[in-house]
This record gives sequence, C-alpha cells and structure tokens, in this order.
Amino acid sequence: MSPYRVIRQGVTSLGTHKLRTFFMLSGTMVGIAALVVIMAIGEATERRVMQRVNNFGPTAMMLIPGGGRDLPPPDPNVTTLMPDDAEAIREQVDGLTVVSPMVRQMAVTLRYKGNQFQAGVFGIRSNWHAAWNWEASEGTGITEQDVATLSRVCVLGQTVKRELFGDTAPLQERIYVGKIGFTVKGVLEERGVSPGGGDMDARVVIPITTAMRRVFNMEHLSMIRILTDDLELLPEQTRAIRTLIRERHHIRRPEEDDFRIVTPMGIAEMVRGISGTLSALLTALAGLSLVVGGIVLMNILLISVTERRKEIGLRRAVGARRRDILLQFLTESLSVSLLGMFIGGLVGWGVTKLLVRTTSIAATLAWEPFALGAVCALLVGLLFGLQPARRAAKLHPVEALR
Amino acid sequence: MLENVSLRIDVGEYVAIMGASGTGKTTLLNILGCLDSPTSGSYCINGTEVDNLDDDALSHLRNRQIGFVFQLFNLLERATLIENVLLPLVYAEFYPADAEQRAVDALSAVGLQDRLYYRPNELSGGQQQRVAIARALINNPALILADEPTGNLDSRSGTEILAILQRLNREGRTILMVTHDRAVAEHADRILTLEDGRIAEERKILHPRDAGAELSELAAKERIDESV
Repeated sequence: MSPYRVIRQGVTSLGTHKLRTFFMLSGTMVGIAALVVIMAIGEATERRVMQRVNNFGPTAMMLIPGGGRDLPPPDPNVTTLMPDDAEAIREQVDGLTVVSPMVRQMAVTLRYKGNQFQAGVFGIRSNWHAAWNWEASEGTGITEQDVATLSRVCVLGQTVKRELFGDTAPLQERIYVGKIGFTVKGVLEERGVSPGGGDMDARVVIPITTAMRRVFNMEHLSMIRILTDDLELLPEQTRAIRTLIRERHHIRRPEEDDFRIVTPMGIAEMVRGISGTLSALLTALAGLSLVVGGIVLMNILLISVTERRKEIGLRRAVGARRRDILLQFLTESLSVSLLGMFIGGLVGWGVTKLLVRTTSIAATLAWEPFALGAVCALLVGLLFGLQPARRAAKLHPVEALR
Repeated sequence: MLENVSLRIDVGEYVAIMGASGTGKTTLLNILGCLDSPTSGSYCINGTEVDNLDDDALSHLRNRQIGFVFQLFNLLERATLIENVLLPLVYAEFYPADAEQRAVDALSAVGLQDRLYYRPNELSGGQQQRVAIARALINNPALILADEPTGNLDSRSGTEILAILQRLNREGRTILMVTHDRAVAEHADRILTLEDGRIAEERKILHPRDAGAELSELAAKERIDESV
C-alpha cells in the first residue's frame, strides 16, 4: 500500500476540478499576498527607524529647550537652557562620554566676495566634532583654544563651500557671517540629507563663545548633545538629567518641563508612530483573511465531501481504507493551501514591487513573510482540512454508495 | 433485513438474486461484498471468515476478493478509462509493475481497447458499464458482484453487458448478480428469490438464456428493419 498513489489521487482530483480548486485557494492566496505586502511595508518602516536612529546616534541624547513631545527644531523663544546646565550634567551624571552644548541660528547671511548664501550658523565647543562624529575633511575643526580665545574662525559645510567658493580653495579665506569677518580654517565632511529632510551640509560652525558674545549676543543654549557610555544606562541617565534640569530650572510638580530630552527610543517611536499602529492593524487583517480563507476552504471541502459521497463510496468499495480517504482529502486541502501560498507569495511580491514603483510607500521584501506565509498556509491546510477529511473518512461505504 | 439466509456459491457459478425492493437484496449484497458485516451469523469468502473483521481488514478483503459492478456505473467522471480501471490497484497492498498492461488487458476484454484515454462522459451508458466491468476484473477477484448492472441501460446495451458477464463466467469467473428483472436473471445458472428477508425460492436454470445469441438475433432483426 503506497501512500504516494493515494496522494497522487488527491492532487489529480484538484487538477481535474479547476474551478473548485481556485475557490479553495483564493482565500489563502489573498491572505498570504496581504501578509507579504504588509510585512514588506513593516520591514521598510523598521529599516527607516534603524537609519534614523543611526543618523541620530544610537547612544546619543539631545537636550533641547521648549516643552512638548515633538522632535527638534528647538524653540528659539525658550531661553532657560544655560551653559551652566551643560556643566552640571557633565559633573553630576555618571557614565556620559560627551556633553556638548551649542547655540545656533538659522538663515544667517554669509558673504564671500560677490557671493551670498543663507545657512545655519552653529556655535560649538571642540567636542561637538566627537558628539556628532563629524570631522573636518579639509583643514581642521574648532579647537578648545578657538573657544577660549573667542577667535573668529569658522568651518564650512560642503554646501556652503560650494555656494560661496565654487571650485576655488576656501582655506584661510575671509568670509562674513552677518557683519563679522571670519577666517575659514576647515571644511566639514559631507553628511547629506538630515533625517528631517534638510540639508545637513548647509551650515557653518564657529566657536560657541564667539557665537554667543560676538555674533548672536545670546546667553542661553540652543541644544546640548550628550553621548552615553552604555546604552543600558541611557534610560536611567535620561531620568537623572531630567531631575537635575528641573531642579536647576526651579520647576515644581504640576508644571511641565521647559525642555525635552530626545533619545534614540523616542526617535524610533516617532518614526514608527502611525505606520506602526497601521501595520499592526493590517497584519491583524491579513491574519483574519487567512482565517476567513481557511474557513472558506473548509466549507468548500465539506460541500465537496457531500458532493463526492459516491466517489468516496466507490473508493471504499474497491478497497480504500478510512485512512486512505483521510489522506486523500488532507492532501487536497494541503496542496490547495500550499498552492495558494505560492500564488499569494507571487501576487504579494508583485504588488510590493508595484507599490514601490508607483507610490511613495516604502516597502522592502525580505524572506520572513514568505517563511511565515508557508507556515500559515500549512497550518490553514491542516487545521481546516482535517475536519472535512475526517468526515469523508467516517462515511460508511454502504451509506456513501446509496 | 435478512433472516435465516443460508447460501453457498461455488467457484465458477453464475447466480442471480431476485426480489422486489425492500426484500433484503441490498443488505445481502452489502454483506456478500464485505461492505457491511452481518449482526449475527457468519460469512466466509474464499476461505476467509468475514465476521469480526475490522474496517481495514474488510477494505483489504474487498480490494482482494470482490469486483463491484454498480447500476449507476460509479466511474470517476474526470479520470480517463485507464485511470478508472487502475483505481483498485491504488489501494492494493502492492502496486503491480505491470499495472498499466493489466488495465489495457481488462479494457480489451470488454472491447474498449481503442478508448484507453477517453473519459466516461464521452462514452455511451453501455460502454461505461463495460469500463466498470473492466475495473472489477483488474484485481482478479474471487467474486464479481453486479448490482442491477443493466438497470440503467436500454435493452440492447443491457444484453451486451449480459453477454460479457456470461463470457466471463464461461472463462471461470464467479458472478453474483442482483436484479428485479426475470428475463435478466434467467441468464444465470441459478436464481434465488428473496421475500421478506428470506430465500423464498431457489431454482436451477438448466438452459440459461444466451445473451450472445440474443444479440445476434437483435442484429438480424435490425438488418431486416433496415431493408424494409
């Protein structure tokens, strides 16, 4: 007795009842296709999250003035974040590698000979380079000596260099930041587009002291960039910094913070945000459609057991045992759901490609949805095929032949 | 419902069972065909005691010892003739290496050697019943059970089927046929008549009707009809 021939009976039966087979596999197909598309979108979201977190710095925090929960830019009207705050954090919170205060102003007019360009100007300490892992590719960066002497030197972003100097060499040239003349001592590495979509290279960095006293005439900070030693410690450090700053700013219980601490987790949460909820919902829907597909499969199989009583009776009469009938019907349901998986996987793959090509929805295909789809299809085939198969096997040959 | 039925069929016999509906014909057939076991009493086929066998053993017995021919042919509509004939071998303990050849031989024995890859709906009723007979032969069974084999056929096709059964019987096959039609039953060697679940009458036919001869007569008559 070879099960192989019984299995072949099941497969042949599917081949000869094409319409019925199509209806049986359609549910599984739609479910798997939906699963593939949704997981591709989810995967793309996850990658974007990873990319943003990496851009931000996986071990970084940013302390910015102004309450609320949104991401930067910092609120320029809140003037409570002071250089002393940065000092206090550096001294009192353990396990931090870098505490880098900075000030900035957006859209400052820069001039070099006949050329003009508007860019952000950032007043920094020397440790800014380490805090952003962003060094000068030509010349040198800002040093502590520059900061101590309030020197009028600047380091240009690539975009600024291009706009002001074109192809000529910028080093040791003199440019005007607002009304004050600066000597170009370096050019920063290219960084490209920021996570927020801005041009990160459209900037000039100058010593923080020069910026505060000679250019902007401001006392408060725009931001403190903080790097931690150990990602494990980050939540604890965030809490410590928050307590410290609230204390220093004399903020009492019901009052809200006048600052925000942005963490990689916060960034990830924000990027996932709506798309995360949406993709969870859609995944649930795909699961639901698989279940519905399974129920459709089961019902068609149950109907087909009733319809094929005579066939079952005949098979029993010529010697099929109960388990042969069971095997045949299980083969049918499993083949159908696996076939549904293959077609659904192809459809999902196609739809994903189409989405990426024709819409702005990001989607990345990986192997996981296909693996999960295969498992789901197997489960659907077994789970929803078993009941009809058992009913078929239980039919008494005499009843079936009647 | 059967009561007190005692019956012996010898190898090579051709027995017909008659009776109106509700007299227990079907029940008897189910028991003889190992589709059902008697509630009491015993049944022995080809040396095997059938009572107290489990479902698997009964299936195996049907597969080995019985060839069924049904009133409604019971062919797989979407399978080819050869696939239909091979069906019992799918469930056989060993799938013989010469299975295909045996199917071809069986189909040749019923005159369908030219239609191996036809499907049942491309055939007439008589031809379909011949496929069913070929299917019953493939396992070389001890007993061929034919349940109203001509019940769904016109008289000419019916006579053809009876002729084939008679020829198989002459070649040594044991055949048991159930029918309600006396003229059909008289092709057998022995007729048992059932009434109220008992064998009411048992009759030996000394000169059974010859289906082959009847066919020739029919053909002759048709020739006359055509010439008129």
